[in-house]
Amino acid sequence: MDLQLSDQHVMFRDELRAWLKANMGRPWREELRDPKATEDSMIELRRSWQRKLYEAGYLGMHWPAEWGGRGTTEVEKSIFEAELSRADAPPILNVLGIGLLGPALIHHGSEAQRRRFIPPMLSGEEIWCQGFSEPGAGSDLAALRTSAVVDGDHFVLNGQKIWTTFGPWADWIFVLARTDSKDRYGGISFILVKLDTPGITVRRLRQITGESEFGEVFFEDARVPRENLVGQIGEGWRIAMTVLAFERGATSLAAAERYGRDLGLLARTCKEIGRESGAVREKLGRLLVENEVLRANGLRMLANLADGKVPGPESSIEKIFWSEFDKRFRETALDILGPGGQLVRTSAEARLDVDWSREFLWSRAGTIYSGSSEVQRNIISKRVLNLPQEGR
Amino acid sequence: MKFELSEDQALLQSSTRDFLSSELPLEKSRTVMEHNADGYESAEWRRLAEMGYIGLTLPAAAGGQDLGAIELAIVLEEMGRVCVPGPFLDAILAASFLAAAGKQDALLADVVSGKSLVTIARQDSPFSGNHLEPTRFESGRVLGTKYFVPFATRTDALLVTTRQGVVLVRAPYDIVPLQTIDLAQRFGKVTFDHQGALIGGPELLERVDLLAAVGASAMMLGLMSRALEVTLEYVQTRQAFKRPIGAFQALQHRLADMLLKTESTRSAVYRAAWCLDTGDPDTALACATAKAYAGDASRYVCGEAVQMHGGIGFTWELDLHFYFKRAKTLEQFYGSTETQLEKALAAAGY
Repeated sequence: MDLQLSDQHVMFRDELRAWLKANMGRPWREELRDPKATEDSMIELRRSWQRKLYEAGYLGMHWPAEWGGRGTTEVEKSIFEAELSRADAPPILNVLGIGLLGPALIHHGSEAQRRRFIPPMLSGEEIWCQGFSEPGAGSDLAALRTSAVVDGDHFVLNGQKIWTTFGPWADWIFVLARTDSKDRYGGISFILVKLDTPGITVRRLRQITGESEFGEVFFEDARVPRENLVGQIGEGWRIAMTVLAFERGATSLAAAERYGRDLGLLARTCKEIGRESGAVREKLGRLLVENEVLRANGLRMLANLADGKVPGPESSIEKIFWSEFDKRFRETALDILGPGGQLVRTSAEARLDVDWSREFLWSRAGTIYSGSSEVQRNIISKRVLNLPQEGR
Repeated sequence: MKFELSEDQALLQSSTRDFLSSELPLEKSRTVMEHNADGYESAEWRRLAEMGYIGLTLPAAAGGQDLGAIELAIVLEEMGRVCVPGPFLDAILAASFLAAAGKQDALLADVVSGKSLVTIARQDSPFSGNHLEPTRFESGRVLGTKYFVPFATRTDALLVTTRQGVVLVRAPYDIVPLQTIDLAQRFGKVTFDHQGALIGGPELLERVDLLAAVGASAMMLGLMSRALEVTLEYVQTRQAFKRPIGAFQALQHRLADMLLKTESTRSAVYRAAWCLDTGDPDTALACATAKAYAGDASRYVCGEAVQMHGGIGFTWELDLHFYFKRAKTLEQFYGSTETQLEKALAAAGY
C-alpha cells in the first residue's frame, strides 16, 4: 500500500499548478457573482477558458497522440480535475463532448469522424450535447422511441429528447435513436446530428435554479447524412454503455477539493457570525469527516488507476457517495447559516464567498443525472453483490 | 501509488486469518465470552504473544516486530471479523506508551512476551461528563477513581492519567468489575490511593490516541465486513413469498448502502494508517475521520444485518449480536465520535 503520488505525477501536478497560477483569471465563484454576468456571457467565458486549456495541451491528454494525447493516463486526468477544482477554475464547457463523445469516437468512430469532430470539440469551437433521455425514457433508457429511418444516404429522425444539458448552446448533439422497433437493445443506433438541421427545434427548459442549462430537442423529419452514424446500425446501446462507464470515472478527489473549499469558507463564516454552539460544531464536524472519507475514496481510486486497475461497477459507490453527500452538505450549510443562506446571489445581504442558495438547489440534480442513486444501487446489488433479480 | 496490500502485508493478512480460524474461531470465543469472567484465556494470550502479534508495532529492542499502523490495521481487521475477545489493542496501546516514554523497559518486554498485562486507565467518570474530580498525583501517590479500565482484573500494572501526567501503578488495587453489553471487552472501576511513578507527560498520549483510533476503526471494519458477508449469504438462502428475500429491492438498496459504508470505511482506515506510518501532515485529520466514520458505519451495517435476519437476528444463539454490541462499544471507546469530531475540526483549523 502506497498513497504517495509518484515523482512523475508530482511533477505533473506542480507544473499544472504553476500553469494555472499564470493563466487562470478570477476564480469561478467570483465570475458567477459578477453583477454583469449572464448565462450567455458565462458560456463564452467557459469557451475561451477551454481554448486556453486545449492550447496548453491539457485536454484529451490520455487519448492517442494524434487526438491530443500526450502519453498520460487516467491518473493525470484525475489529478488535472482535482487541481482545477482546487483552483476553482471555470468548469470545462464541452464536458459532454470530451467526456462521452470523444471516447466513443476513439473506440467506435471512423477515421473521418475522428478527424472531423475531435479537434473542434477539444478547442471548444463546437459544443456538444447528449441526446439520450426522452420524456418516456430516463432511468429505463432502452425504452427510447426517437426513430431514425434510413432513406437513401440519409437517416430521417423523428421524436423528442429531453433534459439535454447545454442543448440551448450546443452546435451538435449525439443521439441514441431507434432503428429497429422490435429489438430493445439491438435496435438502437448512435448518430451525430447538427442542431441547425431543418426539422430540429431546441427549446430551453427552466430549471429549479432559474437557469436554463438544459433544454429539449424536437426532431420532425430531420434528415441526417448516413456518414454521421457511429459504429454500425444497431450498435448504439453497446457504444452508449461504454461511454457511460467513462462518465463514471474517478471524480471523488475533485469533488472533495470543491466541497472542502466551501466547507472551509462555511467554517470561517461560522466564526464571523458567532455560530459556534455545540450543535453547530457537531454538524460541521460530521460534514468535514464525510468529506475526508470522500477524499480517501478518491485517493483509493487514484491509487488503483495508477496500479493499472480499471474501475468497474464500484464507481457506482463513488457516484452515490459524492452526490448524496453534496445534498446533505448544502442542506446543512443552509441550516447553519439561517435565513441568510437562502438569499439569492443578486439579493441585498447575500454572502459573496459561496452562492449557498444556488448550491443547495443544484445539489438536487447530482443524484438524478448520469444514473440516479436508485439506478446506481441497482448496479451495485446486481454486479457487485450478485443478488438475484426481483421477479425473475 | 497502490491501494492494494504489498506481498508481505497480504501474507500477514492471510496467515492471521488462518491462525485465527484455527486458534480463535468464534464458536470457541463465544464460550470464553460467556463463561470466563476475565474475558479471555491465558493460553490463547500466550499463543498470540508467541506468534509475535502483541509486539507487532513495538520496537525490536523490546522483542517487537517494529511494523507499522497498516500492519496493525490488517491484524485488527481480521480480529474484528471473528470478534476476538481480549485486551489485544489495549495492551498494544499501553506498550506503545511505555516504548515512547523510554522507561520501564523490563515491563515493556514482559507485555510483548505476554507475561504481563498493562492497560491505560483514562476515564474519570462512568459517563461522558466531567462532573467528578479528576485523578491526581500528589507526593508520589495516585488518588482518585478510574472507570472503564480495560481488563483491570488481569492487569499487572496500569498507566493512570492524572492532571500531573501519566503514572505507572503496580497491582494490586481495588477493582469493581464493570460489564457493558460487549462481552469481548471487560472493564473495571479502580480506586487508587497508591504509590506510583510518573513516567510521561500527556503529550505522549497523542500518538497512542492516533494508533487507538486507527486500531479501533480497523476492528470495526472487520466487524462490518463479516456482518455484511453473513447477511448476503442469508438473504440468498432465506425464502419468502417463493423467492430469496435478497431478490427484493427493499433489501437490495440497503445492502448496496451497507457495501458503500463498508468500503468507504476501508478507504478511510487504510488511508489513516498510511498517514500515520509516513508522518503525513493530514495524519490527525485522517485518524479522526476514520474513527468517527467507522463508528457510525459499523453501527449501521451491524444493525441492518440484525434487521435483515428477522427474528433469528434477535436471538442469543446467532453470532450477530456479538458484532452489533462490539460495534457500539468500539464506537464509544478509543476516542468517542464526539471526541473525534472535535479533533477533526481542530486538525482542519475550523
